[in-house]
Amino acid sequence: MQLKGKTFTNISITLAAASCALAAPVTAQPSELGSWDVDAGLLIYAESDHQVQAYEGALSLTKQIDDERSINLKGIIDVLTGASPNGAVAQNKAQTFTRPSGNGSYITAASDTPLDDTFHDTRVALSTQYQQQLSRLWLYSGGAYLSKEYDYLALSINSALARDFNKRNTTASLGFAYAYDTIDPEGSIPNPGVSVDDPNNRLTDSDTKQTLDLLFGLTQVIDRQTLMQLNYSISDVNGYQTDPFKILSVVDSNGWANNYVYENRPDQRTKQSLFWRTKYNIQPSGQVLDVSYRYFWDDWGIASHTIDSKWRVQLSNQHFIEPHLRYYCQQAANFYRVYLDKGQPIPEYMTADYRLGELQTYTIGLKYGFPIAGNEFSVRLEYYLTQVSGDDGLAKGDGMAGLDIYPDKSAIMIQSFYRF
Amino acid sequence: MRRILLLASVLSLTACSSLGVTPWERDLLAKPEMQLADNPMEIGFDDHTYFSKEGSSGGGNFAGGGCGCN
Amino acid sequence: MNPCIYNRIRSFFIAVSVVTSLFFSTTIFAENTASVIESKETQAPTFVLPGIDNTQVNLEDYRGKVVLVDFWASWCTPCIRSFPWMDEMVEKYGEKGFVVIAINMDQESILATKFLQRYPNKLTIAFDPQGVVAEQYEIMGLPNSFILNKKGEIVYKHIGFRLAELDKYEAEILSLLP
Repeated sequence: MQLKGKTFTNISITLAAASCALAAPVTAQPSELGSWDVDAGLLIYAESDHQVQAYEGALSLTKQIDDERSINLKGIIDVLTGASPNGAVAQNKAQTFTRPSGNGSYITAASDTPLDDTFHDTRVALSTQYQQQLSRLWLYSGGAYLSKEYDYLALSINSALARDFNKRNTTASLGFAYAYDTIDPEGSIPNPGVSVDDPNNRLTDSDTKQTLDLLFGLTQVIDRQTLMQLNYSISDVNGYQTDPFKILSVVDSNGWANNYVYENRPDQRTKQSLFWRTKYNIQPSGQVLDVSYRYFWDDWGIASHTIDSKWRVQLSNQHFIEPHLRYYCQQAANFYRVYLDKGQPIPEYMTADYRLGELQTYTIGLKYGFPIAGNEFSVRLEYYLTQVSGDDGLAKGDGMAGLDIYPDKSAIMIQSFYRF
Repeated sequence: MRRILLLASVLSLTACSSLGVTPWERDLLAKPEMQLADNPMEIGFDDHTYFSKEGSSGGGNFAGGGCGCN
Repeated sequence: MNPCIYNRIRSFFIAVSVVTSLFFSTTIFAENTASVIESKETQAPTFVLPGIDNTQVNLEDYRGKVVLVDFWASWCTPCIRSFPWMDEMVEKYGEKGFVVIAINMDQESILATKFLQRYPNKLTIAFDPQGVVAEQYEIMGLPNSFILNKKGEIVYKHIGFRLAELDKYEAEILSLLP
C-alpha cells in the first residue's frame, strides 16, 4: 500500500483557517458567529493503462465559536483500486509473481511493465483543528488526525503559533507535528533483500514509524498588491519506511530476471525544504497570480525542485477560471536501482520504486467556478504526466532489448468543491 | 549552497520592517482570492496526490496576509 | 523508546529552540510597538472630510458631544459587525449628545457606496481614502475607534471590534456622557 503520511498537510491546514476567518468574501454576508461553514470536495484520480484509480470524498465543517476561537472537523474517505508497478523490470518474456498475501499469483505479459493489481483499499480519515487568537497579535492552532486503512494506521498531532509584527505586515510562525504510524501488511513484513521464493522471507507481523516535523514560516506583505511567503521545514522520520510490496529484479548478464528480492529502505530519513510563494493581485483587472517554488532535499540523496503557478481570472456573474501549471523534477535516491545484477552482493538498501527515482512531472489544469444557490461551486480538470528517466543502456541483453524500462505515466484528475 | 540559501533567507528577515502597507491599504489582500489558503481542501487533495506519487513532501503554511483586522 | 532515537529527538529540539529564538528575536527587533488602549487624554486631531451627498464633516462641529470616531472599510469583517452595534448606540444615546463619525477607508469608492446601500444606518459617514486623517490618528488596524469626550480629547482607543467587549465599550460611552 502506498505509505501515506499527512503530517505536513496538518500544519498547513492548521494555519489555513487563520486567513479564512479574517476575511469574508466581499460580495457575501459575513458569516454568522456560531454557524457552521461547510466545505465539500470530491477527487477522482485515474491513471492510464489500468493503473491506479482513486476516489476521494471530503467534508469539512468550520465553526467560528466567538471573536477569538474557531474549530474545524474534517472527514475523508478514499477508495483506491487498480494496479501499481511492483518494482520488477520489464522483460521480453512473460513473468509470474506471487501476490503479497501469498494467495495466488499474477502474470505479466512480455514487454509489459509488471503491475501488482492487489491495490484495493478503502481509507477513512478524521481530523480536528482548533484555533485561537491568544491576543491581538498571537495566534495558536492545534489539532489531531487519524487515518485508517486495511493495513495502515496513522495518528498525529500538530501545534502552531504565529505572531504578527510591523502593523501586521509580517507574520512569523512556528509549527510542529508528530505522527505515529503502524503498518500491518497482509502477509506480514517481508525480510529485506531476501528472495520472494525463499520460505523464510517474512519477519514480524507489523512495524511502526515516527515522524517529527518542524515548520518555520515568514509571511510578508510587500505592497498593496503583493504577498510573499518563505518557509523552511525540517522533518525527521524514524522507523519502517520500506514498501513491503515492492521488489527488485535480479538480472543476469543477458538481461533475464530469474529472481526477485524484496526492497529495503533506511530506517531513518531527514527531509528539509525551502519554500517561497508569491501572490500578486494584478490591477486594475483584479486577476491573481500565485507562484511558488520549493527546493527539497533529504539524506537519502533525493533533491527536487517544484514550480507551481495558478492564475485566477474573474469573469462576469461571479464566474472565474483558473489555469494551473506545475513542474516538478527530482533526482534519484542514492539507493535507487532499476534492477540488481546477479552475482553482485545484495546491497543493504535498494528500491526500484520509480517514485524515488529520477523523474520529471508536469501538471496542466483548469479550474472553473461559479455560484450555485449563492454559494461557490468549482470544478477542476487536470492532466498529470510523469516522465521517468535513467540510463537507457541498462536495458541490456536479450532479456530487455528494445524495452522502455522507464515507462511514463499519465493521469487525469478531476476535483470538485462546494462551499456553503 | 544550501547553507548559503538558508542564511540568506534568515538575514533577509531583518529587511522586513521596511516593507508593507498601512492598515487601510489591505483591501486587495483581504479578498478571498488573495488568501494563502483560499481553498484548504484543494490544497489537501493536491498535497496528498503529490506526496503519494513523488519523493518530496510539504513546504506550505498559511498564516499571515489577509485583511489584518482586529 | 530506544536511546538512539531519544538522543536524536533531544538534539533536534535543542537545535530547534536555538533557531526559533534567533528567528523571533530578529523579527521582534524590527517591531514597532504601540499600546492597545491609551488612557492618557490627548486632543484629537481635527479634520474636515467629505461626507455623503456632497456634505462636509467637520470634527469641530461636534465639540460638546461625545464622539466615537471609527475608521472602517467595507472589506473588513469586524467593521461590518460593528455597524449594527454603533447604530444601536446612536439610537440609545443620540439624544444625550452622542454621535458616531464613521470614517471610510475604502480604496475603491464603489465598494463603500455599495456597502452603504446594503446597510442603511444612522451614522455620520466621512471618506478618507488617502488616509490623511488615519495617519494623524496613527491607526494600527481596522477597525480602529477613538472615543472623544465633550472637550474633544481622546479618552479611549480600541483596535478591533470584539462582541465580548460590547458592555465595556458601552460603559465607556456612558462614563463620558453626563
